[in-house]
Amino acid sequence: MNTIALTVVLPLLAAFVVPVLSRVSPLLGRLLGPLTLAYTILLTLQVWLGMEGKPFSIALGGFQPPLGINFYVDRLSLLFTFLTLVTSLLLWPWRNETEPRQYALTLLLAASACGLALSGDLFNIYVFYELISVASFGLAAATRSGAAFAASLRYLILSGLGSVLVLCGIAIVYLQTGTLNLAQLSQLAPETLNTPLGMSAFALILLGIGVKGELFPVNSWVPEVYAAASSRVSGLLAGLVSKLAVLVIVRLLVLLFQQESALQLMLILGLLGAISGELAAWRAKDMNRMLAFSSIGQLGVIFIAFSIPGETGLFAGLALSLHHLLVKPALFLLAERWRGSLAGLRGAGLASPVAGGLFVLLALSLVGMPPLPGFWAKFLLFTGLAAQQSVVYQVALGVVLLSIVIEANYLFRVVMNLFQPAGDSSVAVTTDHSWLNLGTTFLLSALLIAGMLFMGPLGTWLEGVAIQAADPVLYFDTVFSVSAIH
Amino acid sequence: MMPIEIGTVLYAGAIGLVVIGIAGIVLSHHLFRIILALVIAEAGANLLLVLSGFRWEAIAPIITGGGAAQTMVDPVPQAMVLTSIVIGVGVQALALSLTLRAYGAYKTLDIRELQRRMSADLAGEAGTPLPQSLEEPVGGRPLPAAEGDGR
Repeated sequence: MNTIALTVVLPLLAAFVVPVLSRVSPLLGRLLGPLTLAYTILLTLQVWLGMEGKPFSIALGGFQPPLGINFYVDRLSLLFTFLTLVTSLLLWPWRNETEPRQYALTLLLAASACGLALSGDLFNIYVFYELISVASFGLAAATRSGAAFAASLRYLILSGLGSVLVLCGIAIVYLQTGTLNLAQLSQLAPETLNTPLGMSAFALILLGIGVKGELFPVNSWVPEVYAAASSRVSGLLAGLVSKLAVLVIVRLLVLLFQQESALQLMLILGLLGAISGELAAWRAKDMNRMLAFSSIGQLGVIFIAFSIPGETGLFAGLALSLHHLLVKPALFLLAERWRGSLAGLRGAGLASPVAGGLFVLLALSLVGMPPLPGFWAKFLLFTGLAAQQSVVYQVALGVVLLSIVIEANYLFRVVMNLFQPAGDSSVAVTTDHSWLNLGTTFLLSALLIAGMLFMGPLGTWLEGVAIQAADPVLYFDTVFSVSAIH
Repeated sequence: MMPIEIGTVLYAGAIGLVVIGIAGIVLSHHLFRIILALVIAEAGANLLLVLSGFRWEAIAPIITGGGAAQTMVDPVPQAMVLTSIVIGVGVQALALSLTLRAYGAYKTLDIRELQRRMSADLAGEAGTPLPQSLEEPVGGRPLPAAEGDGR
């Protein structure tokens, strides 16, 4: 069971070994990262089979939870650890033979993302969050163009502002409760954090961590970074890092801030993000920018889903997150050869039908065409929103519907463009997708189809994950039980 | 006349530093000033963190063996502040090196100019028309040119 800590330790160790090893033997340097990730994926699966659905907690260094730091392993955190490792392996920067630094940064990102998913201590979460930030600045600047440096600098400044806000929030939480252990906090929170001060702590942490989660007022870095960075990095940031930020916020909501006002704040910011992101994507003139803005919109919808109280919200939010995690990186990979203006893509789908077909499939699922998984995720969101009495949720329902209409409009516009015969005036489109990108996209699409075929068992299982994660009493009992000792 | 407690002053100072820092980040255009404002905001947040565990009547949290047990200052926030200072220094160094790189590419430290050239670069790369800024109407603006731009 303790092997789960290795998912953080091994990639972190490998990240520091890779640059040295690459000097000694370039081949070993290239293989070390993927091998480490593959091994940690095996470890995660092993733990998964061993835990039999029951959450457990491990005390790091043998210091017991209220004083020491613990990793809390339930199905949700293990799921995200697994997804982190798999996504980093799928989006591994294979082609950068000359750049061992990028291997190191990807490994660092994977390690800190696993830590973020597993950690049961508020300050520990902050440290891992900063590690993710540093790794993503490096990755965003890795194309080494002037635009990439400027974009990641602006990203860094906004992110730095975010960490100041998070620190202030943590200081308020500590001032009110005197502890940072999430389990202990979950017990103290109903008395101590159910105040305007507690609410302000939540607002600070939400805005701070929301920088990575592309939350509404703090997402101005998104279009620049995704336009300047390589497709694999954009996929990693949009698919994975944003979901981990959302995961942290959801954990805090479940354990610490159960007030209605906290949920409503997140709902309103999510609404603004959804509508502004989709409208900006509708106006966008080039592929990467369109995908970046639409990612802001979809993250807004995910925030709306998680702001529905109870398991329903968690279930819908998880379904939407998983779907976005699958689809968005695939779209970014397709966009690598199709980056540039949308008008210049005329006929590109006819020239490479496989890529065009995959794009149509992914776009349909993103919009929410009935048999595809995207439909089921949105269906859960709608039933959840419709069950709420409050007017805000009804407004949210309308806004989400509107955002889907806008999304369908701009995505189908691109699809139409892809499959129109190119006029002689159009420039020659580069359509030769690399086999690596096409293969990865194909794999992700195959997973999407598999998700569609096994929707029944998948839905039941995901609901189980949500119910387990929505239970603060279980969290407390698990961390402070006898089983935490070994 | 009510005496003002020192704790109140310190809390006000910490929050003030954060506010000054955020205002600096939002208002200044020079990259160096923005980074310095970030440093100030971080200092404010760190001070707030230290204050969250501080007690005036207590002693430093060091067990010296012998002697009666005394109330001690909570050491946890101090350990956290050390961590966050170190993280802060690392991020600031990264910010400076990125600034150097961006300056090398665009020869400017004005963030608006930097952003303008960056979007021009990205638009040129993508082959799309330059995104029209809402701040700059096509007909020019009917205001006198702001003084002291690009300080």
